Amino acid sequence: MSDTELRLGAVAYHPRIVTIWERFRTYFADAGLPTDYILFSNYERLVEAVLDGTVDIGWNTNTAYVALDHRAGGGTRILGMRDVDRDWATVLVMRRGQASPTVTELSGRVLALGSRDSGHAAILPLHYLAREGLDVASCRLLRFDTDVGKHGDTGGSELHVVRAVAEGDADAGALSAAYFSAFRAESVPAVADLEVVWRSPDYYHCNFTVLDSLDRELAERWSQALLAMDHDDASLRPAMDLEGVRRWYPGDREGYASLETAMREQALLA
Amino acid sequence: MTVDREQVAHRVDAERLELGGGLEVLLAAAFERVAPGGVLEIRTPSRAVAMELPSWARLAGHEPVDHASGSDGHLVTIRRGHSTRMLAGPLPPRERGPALRHGELHTADWRGGALPPEPDPQAGFAPLRAVPEAGAPTHHWRLSRRDAIWADDVGELVDQASGQQWDASRDIPWEAARDLDDTTERAVAQVMTFLAQNEYAALYVPAGFLPQVNPQLVELVLWLSSHVHDEARHIEVFTKRSLVGGHHGYALASTELSLSTLLDEHDFTASSLLLNVLGEGTFLDLLRFIEVHAPDAATAAAARLAHRDERRHVHFGISNIKRSVSIAPDMVGPLVAAAERRAAKLVSLSGLSPMLVEALTIMTAQSLQPADLSEAAADVRALMHTMERNRLRRLHACGFDDATARHLSDLHTPNLM
Repeated sequence: MSDTELRLGAVAYHPRIVTIWERFRTYFADAGLPTDYILFSNYERLVEAVLDGTVDIGWNTNTAYVALDHRAGGGTRILGMRDVDRDWATVLVMRRGQASPTVTELSGRVLALGSRDSGHAAILPLHYLAREGLDVASCRLLRFDTDVGKHGDTGGSELHVVRAVAEGDADAGALSAAYFSAFRAESVPAVADLEVVWRSPDYYHCNFTVLDSLDRELAERWSQALLAMDHDDASLRPAMDLEGVRRWYPGDREGYASLETAMREQALLA
Repeated sequence: MTVDREQVAHRVDAERLELGGGLEVLLAAAFERVAPGGVLEIRTPSRAVAMELPSWARLAGHEPVDHASGSDGHLVTIRRGHSTRMLAGPLPPRERGPALRHGELHTADWRGGALPPEPDPQAGFAPLRAVPEAGAPTHHWRLSRRDAIWADDVGELVDQASGQQWDASRDIPWEAARDLDDTTERAVAQVMTFLAQNEYAALYVPAGFLPQVNPQLVELVLWLSSHVHDEARHIEVFTKRSLVGGHHGYALASTELSLSTLLDEHDFTASSLLLNVLGEGTFLDLLRFIEVHAPDAATAAAARLAHRDERRHVHFGISNIKRSVSIAPDMVGPLVAAAERRAAKLVSLSGLSPMLVEALTIMTAQSLQPADLSEAAADVRALMHTMERNRLRRLHACGFDDATARHLSDLHTPNLM
């Protein structure tokens, strides 16, 4: 391990994370920016690792980023994010033909939510639906707190959400638009008779976060190398496809404001 | 982000289609008409579909741009992504397909009569004319040089092999083999056991080469597959014939030794010489003899049908060697060396096994009467002459000169295969 090697932390929410980062590790080494990866089982541990310097770069969910930035007193920088992270959204789905014209009409009904630490399947839906006038307190919340610590990355709790709606255990369910589309593409039977009745404003999802203390020039070079990844490179495409990215973009804080507000509202920022 | 109506490169009306219900197919086809960076406008009457389209766009590698609602429905605009959907060049334009002969599409015609090009030795299982996508795992085919394994009429041979398939359970009049006398049936069982034992090697040799052939030389793949399939049926039919009369035969050690040396040969063309031309060629005469002298219709039918297949195998061998030797005359030396190498391993074999000679003679005589045996023994001796004469004729057809043909024939195994 060379002195200049960067340490990147990621959460191992699926075995493919190893495949992805083995390839990206080679990519960054070839780009002259040796980057080793360290895997964690949950985002709370990853946030701690960024704060105490165990890793230089955290590959964070939006929830992890907001928590990290809060604890660092705003002293973080974003080095990049995926194309899909820039317009992430939450959708509310119902069985076809039951569509409610407005979300306020869901008052008193059963609402299925994903893991409680998932920005897209629990925290933001409650925030946005309340803003749209839904009396959330009147609803019965059917929560699927699976894979807690993974912040909804596995999609497991969202599968429970769509099944609950399809089987009539819930009147409506909240999940990320991306996962709903992925379930459609995979022909998951439960989504066949569901439709989108509401879509949240766009917000940001994952990003690579560093503390301000990381050498600015080194961070900039790493960011440029990330952005230079080419999905048309046959040797990179399989890993990029596994990561769900076709193009990397530089990031900014703008798209995290709603989640920060939501986490404050829900007392999730210590 | 919004987009001017003028910036839209293509428009599509989804009508009542939904995602997961065919809309994604319509959109994929529509995006083929939009250049990277260009904008596709989708009209849908469904608010649900309009709200689902942005994340579909991301999943498909595009960028959602805008969603406008009006009294006549929803307009969603999506910018086509920049990464290519397939890591491969564009598909070539549609061309006229291969020529038909009276409505039939023959394997010999599917390349328009041209030889296959020398394939990339790492090529994959891309069917003829397919455009391979980059990024696929590579292979390392041991048999990849066209001129080392090709035969000019392999396409015709493939079609013949398909057209002449038969059924060893139903196409043989098995009842006819039930009532032979004990002496004759025992002889037939020994002859059939000998045939089946040899056919195992005739299967294992091409089966060993098959997974080594570059799939771009697909005719060779089809040919070897048919060869393997033919031999499987030969093992089946001769085993069934040995079983049906109730007698058992010996699987001979001398035969096993001879066959093991066929498996030792790993050069494709040398194997063509040893197995197809010399071994199966000699078996052609043996099978014809059995067909003519069979004591029952089942034995005759089995020999006749196997003979028809073996003719193709011999034809391929001659064709393959003739081509190899004409392209590279210095191939003769290594081919002769292969035959000499094999013969050296078989020095302990002094002639055709007496067990087989006796069985052939009794099967032909169908009795142990001296007069019958005398005539049958003469027939078996004549068979040996026929085998030698025809072996020389086949070697000449391969392109060997007289002296080389004689030398190769003399080196051939006393086991016949």
